[in-house]
Amino acid sequence: MKISTGEYIVRETVLSLKRNSWMAFASIGTVAVSLFVLGMFLILVLNMNRMVASLESQVEISVYVLDEVSEAELRTLEERIASMQGIQSVKLIDKEKAMERFRERLGDQQFLLDALGDNNPLPNSFEVRVIQPDMVRTAAEAIRELPGVETAKYGQDVVEHLFDITRLVRLFGLALMFVLALATLFIISNTIRLTVFARRKEVAIMKYVGATDWFIRWPFLLEGIVLGCFGGVVAALALRGVYRVIAVKIYDTLAFFPLIPENPFLHYVTAAILVCGMFIGALGSTISLKKFLDA
Amino acid sequence: MIDMKDISKVYENGAMALDHVNVHIDKGEFVFIVGASGAGKSTFIRMLFREVLPSAGSLIVNGQDVIHMDRSDVPYLRRGLGVIFQDYRLLPDKTVTENVAFAMQVIEAPRRKIQHSVNAVLDIVGLRDKYKCFPSQLSGGEQQRVAIARAIVNHPALVIADEPTGNLDPDTSWDIMDIFKRINADGTTIVMATHDKGIVDSMKRRVIAIEDGHIVRDEAQGVYGYED
Repeated sequence: MKISTGEYIVRETVLSLKRNSWMAFASIGTVAVSLFVLGMFLILVLNMNRMVASLESQVEISVYVLDEVSEAELRTLEERIASMQGIQSVKLIDKEKAMERFRERLGDQQFLLDALGDNNPLPNSFEVRVIQPDMVRTAAEAIRELPGVETAKYGQDVVEHLFDITRLVRLFGLALMFVLALATLFIISNTIRLTVFARRKEVAIMKYVGATDWFIRWPFLLEGIVLGCFGGVVAALALRGVYRVIAVKIYDTLAFFPLIPENPFLHYVTAAILVCGMFIGALGSTISLKKFLDA
Repeated sequence: MIDMKDISKVYENGAMALDHVNVHIDKGEFVFIVGASGAGKSTFIRMLFREVLPSAGSLIVNGQDVIHMDRSDVPYLRRGLGVIFQDYRLLPDKTVTENVAFAMQVIEAPRRKIQHSVNAVLDIVGLRDKYKCFPSQLSGGEQQRVAIARAIVNHPALVIADEPTGNLDPDTSWDIMDIFKRINADGTTIVMATHDKGIVDSMKRRVIAIEDGHIVRDEAQGVYGYED
């Protein structure tokens, strides 16, 4: 492409955006809102994935032992568990220690335990860690079969629930993203269609004097890309701001929630949003031009 | 320059605009296409720059196979042609110079060449002194001269004109015809559809008459031959 052609294309794009500034403004707004929601879901899904992963890796099996098991049998049991495949560590939590922890957890409400008097209803238990998260289920099942074991529990319910929720959010997010992408596409292609319509005489003359399709197409394509890009910038800025605010809130109240650190995560999200915006912009103008150029 | 063999055109609504038409036009000829409205004149003219694609037959224009060419080659066919319409089709927000230069810009001609060529063609059509005017400040005849300048600025081998004097009074029409004569004298082939009996009769050029999609007359020094 020649330099003078490049100049021409840029000049035509700027002119057209100025001429239809309200429509351009509306398109950028729509693109921004769509991409913002899109980005929110992206961030949400990625964070939930990370949470599931981190919960899984932290999973511990709590093995509760029957009360009739003697001290000596307890030792044997501990050794048997430790010798099983895939077990990283076994830690005995005896009744007293369990009570101590419970008391700590109750904090201000320790008086509730006064009603128990000297009785300790808590069982002896083991905290078992496995080498790999995916071994949790089989290990727990094997331990449950051992004599003297009442039950072996891990955070299976939590993890499975979280999986379900993540799947749901992902599905819902995808559907919403799809609808929003379509809406954005529609708005952009409509804006470009107006531009093309405003310049239909010019385009017709361009065709008569032998301009190539690409020469005609470029200014409109660039206009779509610019609209998409501007919308993306607005959406990305809003997302960054919102993420920071939410991150601060979460660290204050839900410290256990492992939010993905801003850096470089937000840069990736920004890049994804911008690319997405420009792609939708380009696609939108291609769609509205196709009919026009084929005619 | 133009070789039309067994050309037919049936529109989507079933209307047969041209029916097995055979025409040969040599380089440097000046040809009038005459006929009543709806006879197929317009279809004939528009096929030459592939605005309308024939349904059957073969058509060579300026050495290029119009029917079998790639869509992407159409612009290059048109670069060798100059097209002029009854309604001028100028861009209202561009000056005379800009309107003419536009035809060179869009085919990516170098800027220095554009300036030079635009001045040269504005001299040919006699509008050098109005180069800064907008189309709305010009008379109909002047606007058509700008359109002619735009059509010939890329030195086409063939100029196609569809009723170029249709909107003009007789005196102005003659000025326009003078320009066409001069362009033709320089070796450019001209194919012109017209309703203007006076012009056709006095120019004594080749006349092709179309009626109901057929060529009914093709005379070397013909006359209009209709009363309307």
